[in-house]
Amino acid sequence: MSLEILLIIAFGGALLTYLLGKASEKTRDFVAVIISLSMVAFVVCLYGKSPEQTFYSGFLGLDLVLRLNMLSWFFAVTIAVIGALSVIYSLSYIKTREKTDFYFLMMLLVNAAMLGIVLAGDLVSFYIFWEIMSWSAFLLISYNKGSALAAGMKYIIMSIIGSVCFLVGMLSLYVSFDTLNISQIASAMTSASPGHILFILTAFCIAFGIKNAVLPFHTWLPDAHSEAPAPFSAVLSGILIKMGTYGFLLLLYVIVGLKLFLGLGRGLLSFHSILCLLGAVTILIPTFIAMLQNDAKKLLAWSTVGQAGYIILGIAFGTNLALAGGIFHFFNHAMFKALLFFAVGAVEFRAQTRDLDSLGGLAKKMPVCFIATLVGICALIGVPLTSGFVSKWLIYKTLILEGSPFLAFFALAGTWGTILYSYKLVHNVFLGQLPEKYKDIQKSPASMQLPIIVLSLAILLFGILPGIPLKVINTIGTSFGFETLNVTLWGITSETGTLNTINIFSALLVAGIIVWIVFRLGAKSVSVPQEDSYAAGAHTPADKYHYTAEFYNPFYRMIKPFLRDVIDEFYYWIASSVRSLAGNVRRIYSGDVGYYVMYIIFFLAALIFVQMRWKIW
Amino acid sequence: MVSPVFLIAVPLGLVFAIPLFALFWKAGAKYIPPAALAFNLVVSLLLLPRVLENPVIVSIGGWQPPFGINLVAGPAGALFSAIIAFVGLLVSVYALDYIKEGATEKYHMLYLLLLTGATGVVLTGDIFNLFVFFEILCISSYSLVAYLRDKASIESAVKYLIQGAVGSSLLLIGIGLLYGLFGTLNMADIAQNIRSVSPISVFVPMVLIVAGLGVEAAIFPLNAWLPDAHSSAPSSISAILSGIAIEVGLYAVARVIFTIFGAQSFLPFLAFLGILTLLVGEMCAFSQNNLKRMLAYSSIGQIGLILFALAIATSYGVTGGLFQLISHTLSKALLFLTAGYMIYRAGSMEISALEGMGKKMPLTCLAFTIGAFSLVGLPPFIGFPSKFLVVRAALATKETFFIIFIGLALLGTVIEAAYFFRVVQVLYFKADITNPPSKDAPVTALITMFIFVVLIVIVGIYPKLVTDVLNSAASELLNRFDYIRSVLG
Repeated sequence: MSLEILLIIAFGGALLTYLLGKASEKTRDFVAVIISLSMVAFVVCLYGKSPEQTFYSGFLGLDLVLRLNMLSWFFAVTIAVIGALSVIYSLSYIKTREKTDFYFLMMLLVNAAMLGIVLAGDLVSFYIFWEIMSWSAFLLISYNKGSALAAGMKYIIMSIIGSVCFLVGMLSLYVSFDTLNISQIASAMTSASPGHILFILTAFCIAFGIKNAVLPFHTWLPDAHSEAPAPFSAVLSGILIKMGTYGFLLLLYVIVGLKLFLGLGRGLLSFHSILCLLGAVTILIPTFIAMLQNDAKKLLAWSTVGQAGYIILGIAFGTNLALAGGIFHFFNHAMFKALLFFAVGAVEFRAQTRDLDSLGGLAKKMPVCFIATLVGICALIGVPLTSGFVSKWLIYKTLILEGSPFLAFFALAGTWGTILYSYKLVHNVFLGQLPEKYKDIQKSPASMQLPIIVLSLAILLFGILPGIPLKVINTIGTSFGFETLNVTLWGITSETGTLNTINIFSALLVAGIIVWIVFRLGAKSVSVPQEDSYAAGAHTPADKYHYTAEFYNPFYRMIKPFLRDVIDEFYYWIASSVRSLAGNVRRIYSGDVGYYVMYIIFFLAALIFVQMRWKIW
Repeated sequence: MVSPVFLIAVPLGLVFAIPLFALFWKAGAKYIPPAALAFNLVVSLLLLPRVLENPVIVSIGGWQPPFGINLVAGPAGALFSAIIAFVGLLVSVYALDYIKEGATEKYHMLYLLLLTGATGVVLTGDIFNLFVFFEILCISSYSLVAYLRDKASIESAVKYLIQGAVGSSLLLIGIGLLYGLFGTLNMADIAQNIRSVSPISVFVPMVLIVAGLGVEAAIFPLNAWLPDAHSSAPSSISAILSGIAIEVGLYAVARVIFTIFGAQSFLPFLAFLGILTLLVGEMCAFSQNNLKRMLAYSSIGQIGLILFALAIATSYGVTGGLFQLISHTLSKALLFLTAGYMIYRAGSMEISALEGMGKKMPLTCLAFTIGAFSLVGLPPFIGFPSKFLVVRAALATKETFFIIFIGLALLGTVIEAAYFFRVVQVLYFKADITNPPSKDAPVTALITMFIFVVLIVIVGIYPKLVTDVLNSAASELLNRFDYIRSVLG
């Protein structure tokens, strides 16, 4: 199974789906699902293999290479699975909208481009697939029209700024080392000067930081992820921004290498500690901003920014536990954020709104979504038995072990914030009283429930048996030069203690059985309708229902002045300054042809004068 | 038959045959430009393999240089001639259905004359002959800008005429000074003897010629005619002006600076001028609400980038500049051709009038989007390898000067992306029109656009198709001694 064939099928499949859609919708849906599932199958079959092949020699004198190693495989499998689930979810979500062929084309194109990125063995192919991913994502974010247009513009402009920095960094490497093959650059980097390494790192970190939404480059994410159609939001939050993570891993551990990376700078002013600090701040601030959101998807989008901070903190910290925690958190976040976006998307599909202030009480009407959101929230917070617990545990452990109290505090504070906004989400959508207008709301369609159920089960599975992904991550860690971790099927053993999820699972199972037995033996419970509720001892009549509105209002009033998004305002200020500068520059072309002729003559006169006076030419 | 002389003589003869032909068959006049340009394309492509080994030099009338006029078809000349013929052919096919009202016969005569002038500029080896063909190019374009005969067109054409005339006068004075200094008009001969006079006496003709050619080449601050002219002309002419006329002007500047004067010390200033042109052009484009004006300012920006790349004057730089030139020609021509029909159906040149065009004219808008993405430099289109080469050339010089400039150039790219993506969003993601009547552009226009799109995608994926020729063209421009030797022996 060659890598080129995989990419050809991925890209060709996207085009084929579009063309088939012009003929028949059912065929198109079928083909789209088949292509996505076949991608999953191909990637899974490639486990353990490491092919490397030149698929195009002679592009401007460079050889374009595709290769697979454990890191690429891990990312590729996540991309393929989340991509396939999003396509299945889209079948019902998109059915009544317009431009459905274009939608499927772009979904499949983004997935294909992301697979191309992780399979790229040289920086030019990486860049080509990166750009294709960026512009197809832009087109798909703008799909919802209205306010999505501004969100799409913000995204693409920041993405292009990142790409431009990437281009400069990449060509600077080319000019110095005469190759862009990643393995060759890695061996050549040992001979580079620290100043040059710093320049390359800065250029690439800006590019990957913008894509991964690290503070201060995160401002595009909340708008873009909330305005995109729900299945694509899942792809965006789950895997697209993780391409920045992949870039960071490639840059810091493969290209620059562990020793060089940790050795750059001294103490607090070293590159890796600044990156850790950025990751930590990214955890803290966006997590609290998420708490103040009233739009369900914007809340999840800010949550994504916060969780991305955990991943960056883990990656930048530089120990094997931290790396394992960071990469595992990427995998987990992809799963539970996709799950949450799917659930919220299903609610939006049925209720036609994302406004947390007006939703409520949907637990009984949409049970699958409710349970799924609960599982997703538990994973987000890091409750034991979910996979989120394991990755967060690894990160806390390493931060405390290595003696970084500030970073550990940020990470823990982030979890407090996560608990707060997660509860807001689940309470405002599913708990509380059911508003009148949603009395007849239907359950989500089967093709939407399938991905939701699959992801919930996966979260629980990897929470109980974390060894499955951890084994792969361990291989990645050792390939970077770390010491290997002691990984078993249900946990990790290290010098300071063991994480054994089977013990936790068994303990909880036993506790659950005991509780169940007690309930069965106790008094019979009476079934009460949802509307029959009491407050302060008196029955509340129907027109005084306590809906969930302005959750956390006191806290909101306290914190709001401190959480103004100054960075976003700064970027808007830059944009409007450029616009007014452009408007003023335009006045050079005033319309009066006398001025124009004057420009020509003055230009000539100035040149001759300069030469006669200063003789510089 | 395969000689540079026919590349000029055949179209020139056919220009004057058009009114005679029209006496017999009025509607048939519009088929002559495509025929002439198809002939040119075939001859240029046949000439190309020969000139890659040795430039083909034709002495007109048998008079040897430095006394007679000669045509020098090197790789650069043959390449440009092929591009002119190719783009001219496609736009003339487009014009078959686009140009329906007005003095159509004169349109076709002037169109073919413009392209003959352009071909002459790139093939000539004599500086006064350059001036003659340059004037043919300019005067045809002045008249064609006024073709639509409305107030805006006439005003633009008059302004263009005035500035162009000033430029041509400066050019003529410069040529006159050179003739006075060296007693010859042959480019190779002047190049050979350029060091024999004092630097200041060479400098004045050089800046006069650069200023004169620079008006047509749209270098800042000489390019104020461009936004008006390119937006008021009919779209097929805008495509030719933006795609060929200003590039040929820039080629003339490059030929004069590199080959005749060999002015190494003047190049950093030209690089600075290029970046200035780029930034001014992109910023002005950003503030536009009129689609064709926006595209015109974008042309100014791209010319700045090409000038910057050429001024780097290494083989990487000139190859990158020439590749960017081809990329701009193809993309900008495509953009203007699609804009032509989009504006025609929308009834207005304002960008806001194009809301929902994506549904009404799907193929045309797809072509526009591809042209826009290509110009910004996104893979897998032709704009990407060309931008790659230009940035590589700038970084390879390892001078802070060029590195800062390329940073500014990439800033220009971000601004370019902003205004092009704005238009793409308006086309596809604005008004909610359900099932509008889908009346796309006519077949001739669609075929033309399709060919441009195919070429943009194919060369974007296989840049090797053109890089060999571009490398030879770059070394021909940079190696003045080889040029002098091949002409004078």
